[in-house]
Amino acid sequence: MSTKKIKLKMSSRLLKKKARRGSFGAKKMCRFCASPEQEHGLDYKNANLLRSFLTERGKILPSRISGNCAQHQRHMAHAIKKSRVIALIPYCSYGY
Amino acid sequence: MMRYEALFLTVPEITKSEMETIEKQLNDLVIDAHGEIISFERWGKYRLAYPVAKNEYGVYYLTRFQVGPEHTQKLLSELKNFLDIKYGNLVKRTMVSVLPVHKSLEYQRPESLEETPQDVDDFLRKNKMGAFVGKSGASFKKPRTSKQEPVEVGDLDETFDAE
Repeated sequence: MSTKKIKLKMSSRLLKKKARRGSFGAKKMCRFCASPEQEHGLDYKNANLLRSFLTERGKILPSRISGNCAQHQRHMAHAIKKSRVIALIPYCSYGY
Repeated sequence: MMRYEALFLTVPEITKSEMETIEKQLNDLVIDAHGEIISFERWGKYRLAYPVAKNEYGVYYLTRFQVGPEHTQKLLSELKNFLDIKYGNLVKRTMVSVLPVHKSLEYQRPESLEETPQDVDDFLRKNKMGAFVGKSGASFKKPRTSKQEPVEVGDLDETFDAE
């Protein structure tokens, strides 16, 4: 007779994650998954949208801050890199 | 048929006749490859995110075309030679990308310098700040000009004496 192991303990990483969510508000949602219109606008030509995913120095925001899912974070990073080549978005902001 | 788009950045000094020749030759290039031009648009003049070939400003053009899969490779290499080498002095950056067939051709782009409102009142009206229309200059003080009467030193001395 095989006995199935039941995990009674919650991992410390998961506990920390739950505590963080509780203290900082609701879970972040990927805005592109939420609305198909926004997803359609995710393009290298739409510099205004892409600028909202850059830091002051012009670096790409990580998904833990932007709230994007892995797929859309990848698409967004790709679009930003293409947009930089065509000089719509800076590689690095001035004044640094 | 595959759909492609080419966005290219030109120097701001480009003339209308130069652009017309580029457009005509581009059209011939696509037709030779048994393709078809869908659109050719002038976005307008933009302030660039970083200087390109010592130019702070540039003019963007977007062209879209469709071509059969058997002629794609040839057309794309010819297009690259055409924009980057033949017109390399005018065209400074190019970006050729595939357009998904199932998606619509609508897209969003940033506002060009020609489209941005130059008048303060127009800007306020467009951005739902109608209450401030006509009051924009009220808060500004007049700059001090050289015509203003200079303060006499004698007057200052008198005030000191009075104290």
